[in-house]
Amino acid sequence: MLRVLVLLALVLPLASGGADPNKVLRVTFQTAETGFDPAKVSDVYSGQVIDAIFEPLLTYDYLARPARLVPNVAESMPVVGDHGRSYTVKLKQGIHFAADPVFKGGKRELTAEDYVYSIKRFLDPRNRSPYAFLFEGKIVGLDEIAVRAKTTGRFDYDAKVAGLEAPDRYTLRIRLRAGDFNFAHLLAFPLVGAVAREAIETYGDDTNSRPVGTGPYLLKKYARSSKIVLEANPGYRGKVWDFSAGDDPRDAQIVARMKGRALPAIGSVEISIMDETQSRWLAFQRAETDIEYQLWEVAPTFMTNDGKLRPEFARRGIWLDRSVDPEITYTYFNMQEYIGDQPNPLAGFSKEKIALRRAIAMAYNVDDQIRIIRKGQATRAQFPIPPGVAGHDPRYRSSIPYDPQLANALLDKFGYRRGPDGYRTRPGGAPLVIRYSSMPTERDRQFDELVKRSLDTIGLRLEIHKERFPELNRLGHQCRLMMRTGAWIADYPDGDNFMQLLYGPNTGQTNSACYRSPEFDRLYEESRSMPDGAERGRLYRQMARLAEVHTVWILGDSRYRNVLLQPRVAGYKKHPVLFSEWLYIDLDTAARK
Amino acid sequence: MLAYVVRRLWQFVPTMIGVVLLVFFLFSWVGGDPAYLLAGKVSNPEQIENIRRQLGVDQPYTAQLWIFVKQIASGDFGASWSTNEKVSEILATRLGPSLTVLVPLLVISTILAMAAAMLVAYVRASITDRAIMIGCTVGQSISILVYIIVSQYVLAYQFGWFPVQGWGNDFSENLLRYSVLPVIVGVIVSLAPDVRLYRSFFLEEMHQDYVRTARAKGLSETRVMWVHVLRNAAIPIVTNVMIQLPGLLVGAFLIERFFSIPGIGREVILAVERSDFPVLKAVTVYVAIATMIVNLVADLLYKAIDPRVELE
Repeated sequence: MLRVLVLLALVLPLASGGADPNKVLRVTFQTAETGFDPAKVSDVYSGQVIDAIFEPLLTYDYLARPARLVPNVAESMPVVGDHGRSYTVKLKQGIHFAADPVFKGGKRELTAEDYVYSIKRFLDPRNRSPYAFLFEGKIVGLDEIAVRAKTTGRFDYDAKVAGLEAPDRYTLRIRLRAGDFNFAHLLAFPLVGAVAREAIETYGDDTNSRPVGTGPYLLKKYARSSKIVLEANPGYRGKVWDFSAGDDPRDAQIVARMKGRALPAIGSVEISIMDETQSRWLAFQRAETDIEYQLWEVAPTFMTNDGKLRPEFARRGIWLDRSVDPEITYTYFNMQEYIGDQPNPLAGFSKEKIALRRAIAMAYNVDDQIRIIRKGQATRAQFPIPPGVAGHDPRYRSSIPYDPQLANALLDKFGYRRGPDGYRTRPGGAPLVIRYSSMPTERDRQFDELVKRSLDTIGLRLEIHKERFPELNRLGHQCRLMMRTGAWIADYPDGDNFMQLLYGPNTGQTNSACYRSPEFDRLYEESRSMPDGAERGRLYRQMARLAEVHTVWILGDSRYRNVLLQPRVAGYKKHPVLFSEWLYIDLDTAARK
Repeated sequence: MLAYVVRRLWQFVPTMIGVVLLVFFLFSWVGGDPAYLLAGKVSNPEQIENIRRQLGVDQPYTAQLWIFVKQIASGDFGASWSTNEKVSEILATRLGPSLTVLVPLLVISTILAMAAAMLVAYVRASITDRAIMIGCTVGQSISILVYIIVSQYVLAYQFGWFPVQGWGNDFSENLLRYSVLPVIVGVIVSLAPDVRLYRSFFLEEMHQDYVRTARAKGLSETRVMWVHVLRNAAIPIVTNVMIQLPGLLVGAFLIERFFSIPGIGREVILAVERSDFPVLKAVTVYVAIATMIVNLVADLLYKAIDPRVELE
């Protein structure tokens, strides 16, 4: 009895009572959210709100880099068996959904069945989930129900799925079709939080504006595309800030300030949608907002060239949190022999085709891209896996240098002769035109100019093809774009999420280059059967080198994320994968005064 | 009069058919396939097909056109493709903020422009007239973006006279606090072209015989200008104001974006970015309907202002 009382005494103060209603965090979104139904949205802004309202089984250590999985709603990390084919997770007991009329005044406990239901929703065709790919083809028996739903028009949520079961109230058992040591990352994906079936069924088409979760916050006020107010969930079980400092010198400071605080500490979060940079920048300077990070255009105003905060801002107590986004940008070459019914001059594995792609890659100056287009706010990507993501190799260096002179020599050697107009022809004398596709935006126009300048230096004729984003996506999926610049940001912090971009069977989906190399595919398949470690790292280096040998991409950059913080924001550190850090930070009211 | 109104209403039908066909084919052919936008980062052909089926864009054009016609007839344009919010709800909730800014803007700018135009027309060729006209020409050649950025920076940020941006919960707060600077910017922007235009209307009237007669009869200048000249110059002014009225429905997207006003203009830009055709189609159709109605009202107003006008 005494033990129970002591336990209650320890737990009760945490139960979101730790949140001070006077602490109001004010943040902005650059673009309007789309909604808060985890299975229906994909934009980062909606994801931030969802991250605060719903809870996945696992989450990430706030300070560990590369990101490290830790239990969230799960009692402990999943038990992985059968060479990565089976995952068993035990849920904590006594976690409840936020009070909602749909529960008719009663308390609704979170159970393993809620995760079974929530995962199934990603494959329900009616939800058109942009993240269906996370679970497609992975869980034994799940795809079959989705296929049936396409013909019957109704997804049978009550049908038993052999690979997705809740043998008891608090146990979730997942069986995969093939071994996958990264699957645990999907259980930590912020959009894979548990929803209550009765809430989803009651709110029907309105689930985007009626989120009911078990997380630290609940939706208090919602004016679409204008203002979102979150309030600490009074029924939240609470957490204690307990993370260890990593290599970053700032970590110790954060730990000293935050260790032992009851979470969430902030009573409410006010989110304003501000489309324009000037509005956000002026509002931040007038201390009308607490955290601001989407200020690329005005970065030179508050930052020095070496990425430090200018003294006038530092004197005001403003903080700059700078990190590299877990993303890469790359310009891909279409590797298919034909684009529509036209032969593709860039495709193929013959020496002269590789020489052509290599010459283009060597003529493209990524440093100019960073200087002109990114305004210095990016770092050159050397490896297909960006920093902060498991599998990244900081010592790896690309074997393709910027060297237009060598590029010209290479083209000369392989018979790409210059005509009287200064432009080169194919080895047989046929005309040679490189077609680069981009969107009709200001930023893409800068890319066009950079590519044009690069190709001019090696005498290649360029044709710019302009299309809107959906159409470019369609053509890209059909392998009908010759050359295009794209970007990929991590869905989960593991190298697999990046290496799959060059996997042959992903052609028509994520493999925009339509690259099919049996050697690369073999290495990739081998890497999938391994957990993160030295052996997998060796395979990744081989794969990266192979992609360079074939010159499928021009690897671009990874952008910096510069987050400005008002003096009163305590404990902030941008996490590479979590959508929002609101749960782990505090507001120092004294600093505000 | 009634026969005229009925005839004009009948003319709405072919005009509307033209608008419907134009809007439909424009969005269907130029708009691109929205399924590739909604599918997210990773999609396969089955998912794309599933989305196309749900949106109805996999159906033959004739079937899609018929659905569009039924939507217009019922006033139910369905739900936004990207947020699932009902289009009617989007229009209902975003129209208020747009009107909160644009109605005062239109009223104030019209009154000020008329007064200023009458003044400069009265002192035509004087230094005041020339100075104001040069000011108007310069003012007109500067982009609205410059006015917004400078006024937001100087008046709101530096001087702190207004909020930099924002929108509250109640009407009076929005009108008296958040709309003031956007209205000032809007008035400044519209004043220059309106003053130039209205000045020409006044000048034309001031040289008419009836003005000379009025003066010869010994009427005061105030009466000549405010009663006789103004009444006759009002007809083209009414036309100009009426032309601007349907624009209230689409808001002022730059002002709304910079000052974070959750109005229709901002929503339209968002819908364009997201290829959210149900929203775009609804707004286009409503603006077309409003334009036709406003034109009819303007014609009726001519008659009220000047009984000599014959409606045929």
